[in-house]
Amino acid sequence: MATVGPVRRPASVLIIVISLLAVVYLLFSPFSQPSTSVSAIPRVIQQNNAGKGTTAEKYIKNHKMNSLAATAKSADNNEKVLILTPLARFYPEYWENLLKLTYPRKLVELGFIVPRSSQGDEVLKSLNKAVNKVQSSSKKDERFAKITILRQDTESLDSQSEKDRHALSVQKKRRAQMSLARNSLLFTTIDADTSWVLWLDSDIVESPPTLIQDLARHDKDLIVANCFQRYTTDDGKPDIRPYDFNSWQESDTARELMSKMGDDEIILEGYAEMATYRVLMAHIYNAKDDIHTELPLDGVGGTALLVKADVHRDGAMFPPFPFYHLMETEGFAKMAKRLGYQAFGLPNYLVYHYNE
Amino acid sequence: MSLPFKSSEFDHYGGPFMKFHPRASAKKHSSWFSSNLSTVSNTSKKLVYIICLPLLILSLILFPSLRPSVHMPGFFSVSSSLMQDDPNIDSVFHYDLADSKGTGQGWTKNERILYLVPLRDAAPHLNMFFGHMVNLTYPHNLIDLAFLVSDSKDNTLEALREHLVTLQEDPDPSKRFGTIDIYEKDFGQAIGQGFSDRHGFEAQGPRRKLMARARNWLLGVALKPYHSWVYWRDADVQTVPPTILEDLMGHDKDVIVPNVWRPLPDWLGNEQPYDLNSWQESETSLQLANQLDEDAVIVEGYVEYATWRPHLAYLRDPYGDPTVEMELDGIGGVSILAKASVFRSGAHFPAFSFEKHAETEGFGKMCRRMGYSVVGLPHYTIWHIYEPSSDDLKHMEWMAQEEERQHKEEKLRELRDRIWAAGFEDVGNEWRIERANILKNTEQDELPLNQEWYGNSKIPGGRLASIDDEKDISIGARAAGVGSGSKGKKKAN
Repeated sequence: MATVGPVRRPASVLIIVISLLAVVYLLFSPFSQPSTSVSAIPRVIQQNNAGKGTTAEKYIKNHKMNSLAATAKSADNNEKVLILTPLARFYPEYWENLLKLTYPRKLVELGFIVPRSSQGDEVLKSLNKAVNKVQSSSKKDERFAKITILRQDTESLDSQSEKDRHALSVQKKRRAQMSLARNSLLFTTIDADTSWVLWLDSDIVESPPTLIQDLARHDKDLIVANCFQRYTTDDGKPDIRPYDFNSWQESDTARELMSKMGDDEIILEGYAEMATYRVLMAHIYNAKDDIHTELPLDGVGGTALLVKADVHRDGAMFPPFPFYHLMETEGFAKMAKRLGYQAFGLPNYLVYHYNE
Repeated sequence: MSLPFKSSEFDHYGGPFMKFHPRASAKKHSSWFSSNLSTVSNTSKKLVYIICLPLLILSLILFPSLRPSVHMPGFFSVSSSLMQDDPNIDSVFHYDLADSKGTGQGWTKNERILYLVPLRDAAPHLNMFFGHMVNLTYPHNLIDLAFLVSDSKDNTLEALREHLVTLQEDPDPSKRFGTIDIYEKDFGQAIGQGFSDRHGFEAQGPRRKLMARARNWLLGVALKPYHSWVYWRDADVQTVPPTILEDLMGHDKDVIVPNVWRPLPDWLGNEQPYDLNSWQESETSLQLANQLDEDAVIVEGYVEYATWRPHLAYLRDPYGDPTVEMELDGIGGVSILAKASVFRSGAHFPAFSFEKHAETEGFGKMCRRMGYSVVGLPHYTIWHIYEPSSDDLKHMEWMAQEEERQHKEEKLRELRDRIWAAGFEDVGNEWRIERANILKNTEQDELPLNQEWYGNSKIPGGRLASIDDEKDISIGARAAGVGSGSKGKKKAN
């Protein structure tokens, strides 16, 4: 060995160096022009260019949007619904619940956005599997009209544990990032024939199968279900408790608080440091009352929120900055209001949040 | 972003890596590698690390272009295969938004631009507009066109379709554009599109909010995940460099606008700033904003709101460096280039009073609020068509009336002359003959009448007859009253 070593060493080193160089070349050469391969010919464009019909139809897509409507009889009128979900985690229960929705799938498009992180890659794996299973179904009416899966370009907060997520100090940053995710998803997937947008959070694991029809029949610009959570009480009995506190009616106390705030400060619900005395939809649930009781709201949560697509098209988005001291879904309700749209909630119509 | 060994993705694109087929050579090398590695001693293994580690670092230093790909999140993960579309399923689409970020050299990186044009009764401008489209130097196949046709009473839609078909049937395929979408949506309008209707002060608030809605509709439906840039352009731009997209993009800003002027008729001084919506915020305007109620909209260029803001338009120097930048807070909408990520993140044209502004000015303010760079180029100018202002219109109306008045007067005069000619016999020629006879025995130099008749005028002797004639005719032509007098006198003579 001792005699062979020195002789062999240079040769073996050379080979290893060469092969490593080759590996380095292989690794990096495709990236010299990063976006060439991907954005050069999007598949949609290739499909578009294969258009048929008259000369004009071959080149031009004409969209008549004057007749587009969102009505109480959504499914009967063949109104298209876009279901949007920012997916930080993939819960199989979420997907199963989504598949249980009875709204005709040929009228439903899905849009997902996953974070740019290893956690996001895990989500993608599960999502792709689930999506492919449904979309390769032999029965056409079991497939959704279209599914768009986006990977976020902006950074995302990696720690998503329950405790971190709700710390007051990180809320502003977290809400800004959630807003960016929602907006990126919304403005790249909303189409000329979309009538409704349903925002369904990735941790909603249980809802009535007729969720879309039930919310749409109220014919409101924005309407949100009441988000609860199933849990087991200390003495072992199953029970439910309110979960989402972002749906509320404004109070004088909160107005007073906000008038003293700087432009960049935000007001948040559900924090002891900041008592707002708002009317919270979560707290006025009554099991015995009619599930279709409506409640006008000033702030909404995004757990199960149905919006007429026109509201978004007019520009109402999820502010990633303090907008009247509100952000994300609450800021969205405020912006919609500035555009002349009123939000409503259904306090007795429940959807359930995952319990971690 | 893609993974190193996903070579199949690149197979059909050719390019430099085709010369060195990744998959085949990787296999070859790995077999070499393993067979040799097993015989290499521990000490040489160490040596390998010692040599290779600096080599790797060195290669990164020598080729800085490699670095961003290394820092790319998820580079060592399996994400790229996760973002690939299954060729057997035609209803599922994956997009990595990091692929459509937008850089300063989009044309070398195949970055797609969404070219947005809101149209209303714009048929007369389409010829000019498409003239500019054909000349664009940015690769046409990377430009997706989207038009919003709203509330049009003319044949905008038909004319547009004709132009687009011509455009896409260009014998040179490189002249053809990407996808083309036309969206029809009427918003109804309280205000007309004539210049004075449109630009009057009271009309501005509601008009701007309506325009904002139209822009948002167009953006929302036309923007796709694969767009890196969004370019907004009005149809009524008269003169614009064909390199406008590259010129603006080269600055690599989130939002950027050129200076917009318009040519004027000579009597108004040849040229004038057109777009006063591009400005920097001033103390005065911030104070003004605080005093106004929540729904008020500040608009520039009106005496009602004196804001004392520095305007992009007024800073123009025709000989200035066209690449000079100026930070802006509000912008105009004639020609805006923005990264698509700006719109994806939610920035839009407020159809409500956002920080006391709406539409494009509100968009500028919102972008600033979201931390984006908003920049204008004071010395890079494009030219809007000349649209006369209401003062201009008044002046032009006066000029037209004046011309008509003069024309009428001319006719009247001709008529009068004809009547004169018919009503009074011209005895000029007779008199010329007779005068010669009457005066033939008189010394003309001694004629006393000369001085009386012609006052101070110095008339050389011997030329009286001819001068008398000339004078008479010219007086008759100039003023009927005087002429009639002289003619009357003559008649009496």
